Amino acid sequence: MALLARTVQERKEGSTLVVEGVNVPSPRTELLIRAENIKDLVQPEGTPKETCYMCALGLDVKHTDVLILSQFVRSDGCMLPRRITGLCRRQQKKIGKMVSMAQKAGLMINLTPSFCKKDPKKRFGFKKFNSYFDETTIFQKKKLTPFEHIKYR
Amino acid sequence: MSAAKRVQQWATFARTWHIFDCKWQDPYQSADLIKKYLMGMHKPIYHPMNDCGDVVVCINSRDIALRGDEWKKRAYFHHTGYPGGASWTLAWEVHNKDPTMIIKKAVYRSMKGNLQRRHTMERLLIYPDEEVPEDVLQNVTNQIRQLRLVPTRLDHIPEDEVRKFPKVMDYPKDYVYK
Ligand SMILES: [Zn+2]
Repeated sequence: MALLARTVQERKEGSTLVVEGVNVPSPRTELLIRAENIKDLVQPEGTPKETCYMCALGLDVKHTDVLILSQFVRSDGCMLPRRITGLCRRQQKKIGKMVSMAQKAGLMINLTPSFCKKDPKKRFGFKKFNSYFDETTIFQKKKLTPFEHIKYR
Repeated sequence: MSAAKRVQQWATFARTWHIFDCKWQDPYQSADLIKKYLMGMHKPIYHPMNDCGDVVVCINSRDIALRGDEWKKRAYFHHTGYPGGASWTLAWEVHNKDPTMIIKKAVYRSMKGNLQRRHTMERLLIYPDEEVPEDVLQNVTNQIRQLRLVPTRLDHIPEDEVRKFPKVMDYPKDYVYK
């Protein structure tokens, strides 16, 4: 299985500028880790047979694991949509939240838009200080404060 | 008395100097840890009336990390004593003004309010960066282990290592690189 991806190349032929899409093999295919290729991977009981590749691997990804999270973003640090990542809804939400956690903590500062200053300490106001995040809060329901309890009754 | 026991004896009765690196540490969680060394609660001879506390030197207090959006949510209260003298300052504004104050207040708050607390606080030395006076640094004999792992930035990892790292996501066939 050779996966292909496209790049847009520009070249000059005489006085005409030719812009064409060229199929290039994906550099990731050889390094790809899939659960079905690992022999002694024990899946916990109750795991459905049809899962996406992240659920099947069962990795405990944290927001500080930038080497994994950076695979799911574009070069401007934006999370890729689900039709490209191929994740299930829950994993897409989880990875997306962790990408924004890593961005807020300034851990993927090289994957940011071009107008970014590329230094977390030069950010504005409270953003210039370090902050860490708790991954258990991702699927946590919002706790109502005592006042909101009365408001939404 | 064996040599090891003799060292233990000295370590218990002498005032040991500990160093703690605050880089990427939560000040409120580290305060509970620092407090134990400051009050001498890690020693077998501990008693509230017993002056057996150690000295703790905190470095890199400018690089502490607060959880989530606490930098803009946590407020520090101060009252001048005059009518209308109340003020609430956000954590990031306090940290802008004095990068040692948050960790100092966190340790102060973690201890019980008694006559001993102010004297115990005198034994806590905080420095905003790695520049510690030489006469302080020469006393240090122990380092307190950090509670949280210091995260690595993606741009500090060599580019070759990023490229060779095992991948979980691959692009679909018709993906156009951006
Ligand atoms: Zn899934």
